[in-house]
Amino acid sequence: MLFLRRTLPLIIAFVMGMIGILVFYIPHSGAQALEQELTKWDRIVAAFAMVLGIYSLMRLHWGRVRRQQAGWAYSFLVFVGFTVMFVLAIYNDGQGPLSPQVIDSGPFVWMFDNVQVPADATMFSILAFFIASAAYRTFRARTPEAAILLVSAIIVMIGRVPIGALISDWVPWLSQWLMAVPNLAAKRGILLGVSLGAVATALRIIFGIERSYLGGGEE
Amino acid sequence: MKEFLLNIDRRIIFIFVALGVIIPALTSFNLPINPTPNVQSIYDTIEEVGAKNGTILISFDYGPGSFPEVQPMALAVLRHCFKRNVKVVGMCLWPQAVGLAQQALDTASKELDAEYGSDYVFLGFKTGFHSLVINMGHDFHGTFPQDSPGNNTTELPVTQNIKGLADFDYVLCLAAGNTPDGIWIPYGQERYKFKFGLGCTAVMAPDQFPYLQSGQMNGMMGGLAGAAEYETLVQASGTATEGMRPQSVVHLIIIAFIILGNVMYFLYGRQKGGAQ
Repeated sequence: MLFLRRTLPLIIAFVMGMIGILVFYIPHSGAQALEQELTKWDRIVAAFAMVLGIYSLMRLHWGRVRRQQAGWAYSFLVFVGFTVMFVLAIYNDGQGPLSPQVIDSGPFVWMFDNVQVPADATMFSILAFFIASAAYRTFRARTPEAAILLVSAIIVMIGRVPIGALISDWVPWLSQWLMAVPNLAAKRGILLGVSLGAVATALRIIFGIERSYLGGGEE
Repeated sequence: MKEFLLNIDRRIIFIFVALGVIIPALTSFNLPINPTPNVQSIYDTIEEVGAKNGTILISFDYGPGSFPEVQPMALAVLRHCFKRNVKVVGMCLWPQAVGLAQQALDTASKELDAEYGSDYVFLGFKTGFHSLVINMGHDFHGTFPQDSPGNNTTELPVTQNIKGLADFDYVLCLAAGNTPDGIWIPYGQERYKFKFGLGCTAVMAPDQFPYLQSGQMNGMMGGLAGAAEYETLVQASGTATEGMRPQSVVHLIIIAFIILGNVMYFLYGRQKGGAQ
């Protein structure tokens, strides 16, 4: 059992990890063909992962509804929304589930255009209100570093909208410079650090040092 | 009064923001929109592609939450492409983007009499992210044997001569997530060396500057402002240009509150530990 639970997944991770890295860099036709095959497998696995994701979401919300946890009615709405959209997708504007999905008319598209799009966009736009309130409360020049950040933020905020050019041509120029020089330098530094971290994590998984993906913690 | 200004109730701030959106949205005044070099670069590339009757791939990688910001970019670019006889292939790495992409393609194609199959093709969504991009790089028809309505891609005039990603004259990603820097650049542009441009939400834009400087990306439209700049270039004012009025006013309101908060903090708040 230990072989199936731990050793075999570690062997698969090592073999597939090494093949994945090697075929990415070897331009030989055999390696390229193998990469094509592996990426096709990956896409099939990814499709099943979506099904698993839906199952996981439903299970979580079913638990909340069953226990009548605080806010369980919202969890119930998840089922209503999922069921309605699933049935409409199967109905497929009268074409049935085996025809290509009709994506330019019908009740499924109507629900998407008139419920999901406005609801989602509204949720996102509410951020503007919270950002305004949070900026007033927390954006204080308490230290010289905070003062630099504050001045930069104000320049970028004015420079990124047309009103900046009305004040002076220098405002959009300065805003662009802040983004293209200091911002770029900081982002590149962060990016290099994150990339090195990702390489290290990938190697730890391939060589079996990092095993948390097996579940159940260290044995 | 001092206490009030030091701790303004958030509902008052919300009212100011709401009025800052509603009043400029209902009134009409023009603001100068000057395209930045990053947006101009995308426009110029599409002009070049149009001059040789080329084909571009547009990857719609955003959801309804980013609709107000990214959809105007999609519409402006599609209008530009159809005006210049650039053939368009649309696809989605995000499942939620299918309806939005279809909507944008329908709107722009009806306006400019673009014909499905000979002027544009829509491939829809497929899972796989980076694996899908790698597969498309090697074998386009194998990865997408059929388009979204079920036609064979080997038979459609727009896609029949596309063998891999390198055959596209330009690839434009319209994104609200990590698909440009996490998928299109490392697994697509770096390997197959196509010209790559990006339209993204404002919050993503600062992260993309390293790729602009390295040349892996030749242009970028960032947020609603980027979309408004593109609308200005194609001389087709749309929701992004209109959105610049409320956005400008709300930015000024936020800056005014930040300045007020700091003035009050330096005058009175430091002794009290600042606003709560």
